[in-house]
Amino acid sequence: MDYKDYYATLGLTSAATPEEVRRSYRKLARRYHPDVSREPEAEARFKEMAEAYEVLKDEDKRAAYDQLGQELARRRAAGASAGAGPGWDTGFEFHGAGDGADTGGAHSDFFNGLFGAARRSRSASVRWRGEDHHARVEVDLQELYQGGSRSLTLRAPVMGADGRLTLAERQLDVQIPKGMLPGQHLRLAGQGAPGGGGGPPGDLYLAVELKPHPRYRLSGRDVFFDLLVEPWEAALGAEVRTPTPVGTVELKVPRGSGQGRKLRLAGRGLPGSPPGDLYAVLNLVLPPADTPATEQAWRTFAQAFGGFEARPSTER
Amino acid sequence: MPTDQIPEPLILEQDVWLSLTELYAACDGESVAIDLLIDEGVLVPNGAAPEAWHFSGASLARARTAMRLMRDLEVNGPGVALALQLLDEIAALRAQLDSTD
Repeated sequence: MDYKDYYATLGLTSAATPEEVRRSYRKLARRYHPDVSREPEAEARFKEMAEAYEVLKDEDKRAAYDQLGQELARRRAAGASAGAGPGWDTGFEFHGAGDGADTGGAHSDFFNGLFGAARRSRSASVRWRGEDHHARVEVDLQELYQGGSRSLTLRAPVMGADGRLTLAERQLDVQIPKGMLPGQHLRLAGQGAPGGGGGPPGDLYLAVELKPHPRYRLSGRDVFFDLLVEPWEAALGAEVRTPTPVGTVELKVPRGSGQGRKLRLAGRGLPGSPPGDLYAVLNLVLPPADTPATEQAWRTFAQAFGGFEARPSTER
Repeated sequence: MPTDQIPEPLILEQDVWLSLTELYAACDGESVAIDLLIDEGVLVPNGAAPEAWHFSGASLARARTAMRLMRDLEVNGPGVALALQLLDEIAALRAQLDSTD
């Protein structure tokens, strides 16, 4: 078990005042909170930060942590290894409030080793509902169109008879229904933590996210993709075959189409009531003037349209 | 490791409706925080009186986001209401960007 440098996590020295601790946490929390952050690994980093703050903001916990840090420094100076050992049991036991189901319920092993696992204190005669659990699932576009299934391996902390927290694993087969939107949640009743005193189990919430697709993008239930066309196809009109999430289709490009024109395939977006639409966004690709022949072809083309001007004469 | 087959799950935002009591229970019993969010207009109940109130599943998702922000970023009621409003706006702008690329 490795020592966790909570001061470094918050960008502080061990001499930081309580105000500096709070200020640093708040600034970093705004940046890395998973609900507002676009940083990669935001969730993992935020968990580290939150645990560091939980220890450093509390006078007693910080004192215990600092004591450990000093003990380790002493040992290192005396040439001993700085690994985990029975000497880490400082005898502090903290019965914290709930263990934060949203963050996966877990403090790090380092935290639990130092402070003992946080326990809910409940009287034996009370019936209580188990905690809800939360997990995330990434699906691809076809699974949003057709539904899908997933076999999930869930890990949840479970209090053993000996009072130690262990991680129990179980597997769950979940059907992902048609018609979901990314960002929505599935609720699996009763699949959360077991209750106590005969109380009901909590629920399992699965947040469904879409794996980014190289070709298709979503806006609500509407699906968009770029359709590359040659300039003469746009100018003269054309029948174009193109793959779509619902199979290959023949699209009619209307005569005189411009760059960015959207061709709508009604009802071919994500299922729902009403279903979304599928849009092909025209992307004109100009052939390059990269040989004498192609350069001449462009000049001939320009001459054929002698009077044509893209910009008004006032801007020339 | 046992494999469980379970009945078809419900889509929270489409299929689930909760009474006020059910909403409290689904939010770890944090009735004070939920009442605050209703006061701030972050959660909007359907129905006339608290006994008849029902909330969409989308409200539950929103309530949990709000409570996470209040707990983790130490934000108060008006602050979290503003934060959620701005997050909605950002999401709408991103969706617009995505559709035009």
